[in-house]
Amino acid sequence: MSAARVRSLGVVGGGGFGQALAHAALRTGHRVHLWSRRELPAVERLTVTHDLAAVATADLIFVAVPSSHVVETAKALGEHLEGRHLVVHVSRGLVGDRLDTVSKVLRTQTAARRVGCLAGPLGADTLRDGLPGGGVIGTAFPEVAAAVCEVVSGPSLRIYETDDVLGVELSSALVGLLALSLGFAQELGFGPGTLSVLMTRGLAEVTRFGVALGADARTFSGMAGVGDMMAAAFGDTRPEVLLGRSLARGRSPEDAAREAGAYVEGVQIARRVASRAKQLGIETPIADAIAQVVEGTLTPRGALEHLMQRKVRRE
Amino acid sequence: MPKVTSRLRQMLIKPMRLPHLTPHVANEGDPPVFGFNSERDDIVREVVQRLQIKLKTDARPLEYALNEVALDEVRRLESQRDDEAKLYLGKWRSLVKRVGKMTDGDKLDVLRETSERMAKDVAGNFDPRVYSFATRAVPHALSGILKPSSILQDAAHLGRGPVAVDDLLRTEGEIPLLRDLAKKGTLVFVPTHSSNLDSVALGYALMRENLPPVVYGAGKNLFSNPIVSFFMHNLGAYRVDRRIRAQLYKDVLKTYACVMVERGYHSLFFPGGTRSRSGMVERRLKLGLAGSAVEAFSRNAVRGTPRPVFFVPTTINYSLVLEGETLVADWLKEAGRARYIIEDDEFSQLDRWVAFFRKLAQIEAPCVIRFGQPVDPFGNPVNREGQSLGPHGRAIDAVGYVTRDGKTVLDPRRDAAYTRDLGQLLADRYETETVLMSTQVVAHVLFRILVDKTPGIDLFGRLRLRGDVSVTREELRADLGATLDKLRALELSGGVRLSAMTRSTGPDELFTRVMTAFSGYHERTIISETNGVVTLEDPTMLLYYQNRLIAYAERIASDVQMPAAREISRFALGIGGAS
Repeated sequence: MSAARVRSLGVVGGGGFGQALAHAALRTGHRVHLWSRRELPAVERLTVTHDLAAVATADLIFVAVPSSHVVETAKALGEHLEGRHLVVHVSRGLVGDRLDTVSKVLRTQTAARRVGCLAGPLGADTLRDGLPGGGVIGTAFPEVAAAVCEVVSGPSLRIYETDDVLGVELSSALVGLLALSLGFAQELGFGPGTLSVLMTRGLAEVTRFGVALGADARTFSGMAGVGDMMAAAFGDTRPEVLLGRSLARGRSPEDAAREAGAYVEGVQIARRVASRAKQLGIETPIADAIAQVVEGTLTPRGALEHLMQRKVRRE
Repeated sequence: MPKVTSRLRQMLIKPMRLPHLTPHVANEGDPPVFGFNSERDDIVREVVQRLQIKLKTDARPLEYALNEVALDEVRRLESQRDDEAKLYLGKWRSLVKRVGKMTDGDKLDVLRETSERMAKDVAGNFDPRVYSFATRAVPHALSGILKPSSILQDAAHLGRGPVAVDDLLRTEGEIPLLRDLAKKGTLVFVPTHSSNLDSVALGYALMRENLPPVVYGAGKNLFSNPIVSFFMHNLGAYRVDRRIRAQLYKDVLKTYACVMVERGYHSLFFPGGTRSRSGMVERRLKLGLAGSAVEAFSRNAVRGTPRPVFFVPTTINYSLVLEGETLVADWLKEAGRARYIIEDDEFSQLDRWVAFFRKLAQIEAPCVIRFGQPVDPFGNPVNREGQSLGPHGRAIDAVGYVTRDGKTVLDPRRDAAYTRDLGQLLADRYETETVLMSTQVVAHVLFRILVDKTPGIDLFGRLRLRGDVSVTREELRADLGATLDKLRALELSGGVRLSAMTRSTGPDELFTRVMTAFSGYHERTIISETNGVVTLEDPTMLLYYQNRLIAYAERIASDVQMPAAREISRFALGIGGAS
């Protein structure tokens, strides 16, 4: 593989993470086109644009929009992307009832094929300033991994690689479900021991689910799975934890989402996972319980008790 | 007497070529393969050269590569015990002892000689005279089998007018587009694989539709049928010896396939690798040699002479499968892998061929070949000009997919990733382009009834229920009628395709016709009917034919039938390890 350099870079999405990616690229000496709906200050080597065509002049494009906007963004990008583009998303979501991954949406709606997902316990400030930390790039294409590492990593910011892109996307999205159940249990006042059991069994559940969809179990033990789950458990203030807390306080899904600054789709993931798991013939008790709480057929405390009273089997 | 027969057989299946008195002069507009023989030596040379480069740059030491070939050849020749063994076994045995002391130069020399011998053995032959003969005579010969009375009449009109064999095979799909694309780039047909007749049927379909002939890798075991062997030897088939397992041989095959596509030879690969033992439409495709076609595109692009490659997802659908009994037995024995090479099936028995074709003559269009929408190596549809189209119908530059930072580059890992994605796309296309035949639909409805009526019994228990489960004709009519309605709705929404008979025949008539089709060819009776009661006589063959519907089972079941349909759709995940 040649040591080619990324010639130019585009970022779609002017939220916190999109801006952090743009600044990471500036930190590593690249020129950036940042597409944003909102007005942002331009700095040296950074062009802020409302035109996706400008972003498409770059070879490497990061998509950093909320998963609820992924489909429309991908459609709009489809007008401009070609086979030469490398596209990497940072979404933690899955799309529709079939739980399509964002990379699948990008590959369906655009001509780009070389796609990847950047995930793991990467905070915006870590990315922006190259602080000690790490993440994982899931992609089957070596040039995508090389480009992301070149643009994002730093002396103490470690980006690992895996070709199990499906595993990375599923881990990343399903850790959101675990974070939701964590916030939920915290709000009910459970201590570290109970929370650990919930997280450990939760990880087993999402791994089982991911493997049934074709992912590699090892990916769930990596940065995008355990790594990200630990960041939630150690107390980063991600919306899913806050969402779980609000739900445990008996808020409606809409109110909980508003309180947590999250999208209501995040609340619905439990039901979507539970339904898909049923089709696949596998058990997902935690997703089932959360889904029932959201739908009002189980009380928050009843859900936890129900989970802890399940028959114990071999680990 | 058996000795004489076996000698005659041996003689017939040896590569037989017709002598050439004058060299073949290609005409303008001839398919590329007409000029193959003049390029063959050059192709073998190129294959050997590329392998030398690969061996020199490979991370694996030469000693490993050589050792592997030597040990594999010793193993193979020891079990073969034929003339080839007499010639080479001693040499390989002594080489195994010397490898450690050889210089790298010597090792490379041996590897070069070996790969050259392998490539020469693989490389096919194309004789335009045989092709021309085949286009005129084969349909008539087959017609003779179908309708013995028509032989004299056909002989008088050789090469003119429709023949009975035309009724056997229906072709549908993107045929006009393929004719255009054949002039713009290289066609790579990637069909489903259920019978050794597939390549023959596809070859004939291409010929009839004025599409160019293709080259393809045929297992050496296929050459066991003398008639097929003669045509294969002379119509561009290259030989794949599955007994050789050394990596070097696999590399020879891949490189050969790649060079052929690169040079514009329209090709045929079976991405499933081997015939579907279960009768299911293939889901897990490794692509194997078809992956070389992606590399071929990259190499031409890097050389600055990009040449489009069009993959054509194709389904080959039969009402009856010549080797159905052997295949399904193999699947059920969970020995699909162990018996990767089946040499003693119906394909090698001429009397079975005659019985099979005579049976087919009683069925309406018993084989349907459907050519799906062609795609470029990156899964994009293409227009008549051969341009790749993005999701919005905009023409895009396919060379972009093999560029990095503005330069076209070779990258085997990247191409392997493209190939995996293509495998997924083909599997999805197979599902929507499969043409469901009436026999398969009836078999599915009957098997679903069997599952429904025998709750709690496992698959193998059910297969033992020969003649134990019955259903009234009325009940069957209602079930079949409702299922046909759902299938027709599924076809309208693009979920599957139906054969003409399945699409337009009522349940009663359809069942009667399927009864006729099922009786007489396979050894055991599959279904029988007495006094309005239909009895399932051979659940194994019903299973085999119904397996083609597994992907749709839940979508075509009523609420009552759903538990049985769910059970059936789980066969796709394997039955006790078989797949």
